[in-house]
Amino acid sequence: MTTLIRLEILRTLRNRRYLFFTVVYPAVLYVFFINAYGSADQAGGLPVKTYFMVSMATFGAVGAVLSGSAQRISLERKSGWVRQLRLTALPGRAYTIGKIAATAVTTLPAILVVFAVGLTQGVSLSLPQWIGLAVALWLGSFVFAALGVALGYAATPDAVQPIVMITYMAMALLGGTWFPVSGSLEKFARFDPVYLYNQLATFTRPGQSLDMVAVGGLAAFFAVFLVAAAALYRRDTRQA
Amino acid sequence: MVTEVAAFRGVGKSYGRVRAVDGLDLVLRPGETVALLGPNGAGKSTSLDLLLGLREPDQGDVTLFGGTPRSAIEAGRVGAMLQSGGLMTDVKVHELVRLACDVHPRGRSVTEVLTDAGITELAERRVDKLSGGQEQRVRFALAIAGDSDLIVLDEPTTGMDVNVRQAFWASMRAQADAGRTVLFATHYLEEADSIADRVLVLHRGRLIADGSSAEIKARAGARRIAFELHDGDGGDGGFAESVLRALPGVQSLDVTARVPGVRTVRIRTADADASVAALYGAGLYPRGLEVTGVGLEQAFLTITGELDRADAERTADDKESVR
Repeated sequence: MTTLIRLEILRTLRNRRYLFFTVVYPAVLYVFFINAYGSADQAGGLPVKTYFMVSMATFGAVGAVLSGSAQRISLERKSGWVRQLRLTALPGRAYTIGKIAATAVTTLPAILVVFAVGLTQGVSLSLPQWIGLAVALWLGSFVFAALGVALGYAATPDAVQPIVMITYMAMALLGGTWFPVSGSLEKFARFDPVYLYNQLATFTRPGQSLDMVAVGGLAAFFAVFLVAAAALYRRDTRQA
Repeated sequence: MVTEVAAFRGVGKSYGRVRAVDGLDLVLRPGETVALLGPNGAGKSTSLDLLLGLREPDQGDVTLFGGTPRSAIEAGRVGAMLQSGGLMTDVKVHELVRLACDVHPRGRSVTEVLTDAGITELAERRVDKLSGGQEQRVRFALAIAGDSDLIVLDEPTTGMDVNVRQAFWASMRAQADAGRTVLFATHYLEEADSIADRVLVLHRGRLIADGSSAEIKARAGARRIAFELHDGDGGDGGFAESVLRALPGVQSLDVTARVPGVRTVRIRTADADASVAALYGAGLYPRGLEVTGVGLEQAFLTITGELDRADAERTADDKESVR
């Protein structure tokens, strides 16, 4: 199984288009946002530079796992590669685990590159905060990897692209990726996994600890996505 | 020792109202090279899917090496190449073959597999940049990545040039010579004729013929006899078609007379030797006698054609009885 996981990671890193959209693009957007906001120095209770550093890191991470898992799984179901793998001694779950592992590896550069840009732009955090934030965001990306697997087994390649885009954009819009949500929107935002994901960064505010409500919410979403992914996987297997 | 490689027992599979496989009974024995023939939609791919456990039968059961298909695959006893077997993209050929060798419980060395599949020169190429025929050979490499007892190939030479196909057949024969049981579906009759020592003909989900290529041909009326009869050749009593019709083994008779006094006779017979002997025995003197075998292609068309006619008659009878 390690060969499969290694190969999945290798091919993901080889795909330039994929790396551009998940690593370079969020970093560029980050620079754009902090310059556009310029004068204001607070957003969502955090310094603007910190706020968008987190939201662009999550933007890249969610994009990486959604397209990496959903689109690839959908394509490879159609091409017959999934069937071919079922004729090997590999257990059925190996394929999905390989996909999640590969996307998890690529979310790390998506997060770290934006962090590096943040550092050069003068985001000031203590070392434990940097590390804690990176780990929290990396672990949080697994929630979306599970969603990506579910979508990959739910839809055909033609349909999966728009479904992923719409899901991604809607979640980002309401999740505080491009602007901090406040007021009545916030009530709905609490049911948006991307919002909860971004909330993981609030522990960097002075005097605040990790938002356990957000952690609990993400855990619940993770469970739901996993159950859906498992059910859709079984349906796909029955249909051969 | 298990003397059965694979067995279908009363297997049925439907997709909605379409009966893809209908009461299939079949046993594959060790060391056989078996061709599965049939027109498109005959149920070949479905049968292979059932054999490999990719689909579950509606009725009956399928066993591989006495157990379930999945357990045979997990034990590394089966290598397979699917018609619709997509390949992993963004990887090199040797990386993909290494994956297949690594996950096989009795994996072989990558170099050996590349050589046997004739793709050593493609090793560094990206999988997504291959031609159709090259892809087929990579799929074949995946099927032979381990020391399996049974190799299953679904239309392996589709998309190959004629000369590449010849080379591929040599690779298939090498697998059979190594003592493996080989089962392949094809619609190239020449492929079945030249490689298989057993031919299965599937038609509308049913097994309608099972035997050596020679037996299948014999069943369809394997030989054609052609000759000319000139006036006076047929003894004193003149030409009598009934004499020809009464020859042993005759299945069809065709007599044309383009030139006055010369008749061209074509006979299809199940027993050419007996027919010819009786021809002389009847006092006839055939000129330019030729005995030729019909190809498997002709045999195949004859067998499936007979079945279609029989089905049509049965349907007509049913309608009759309803009235």
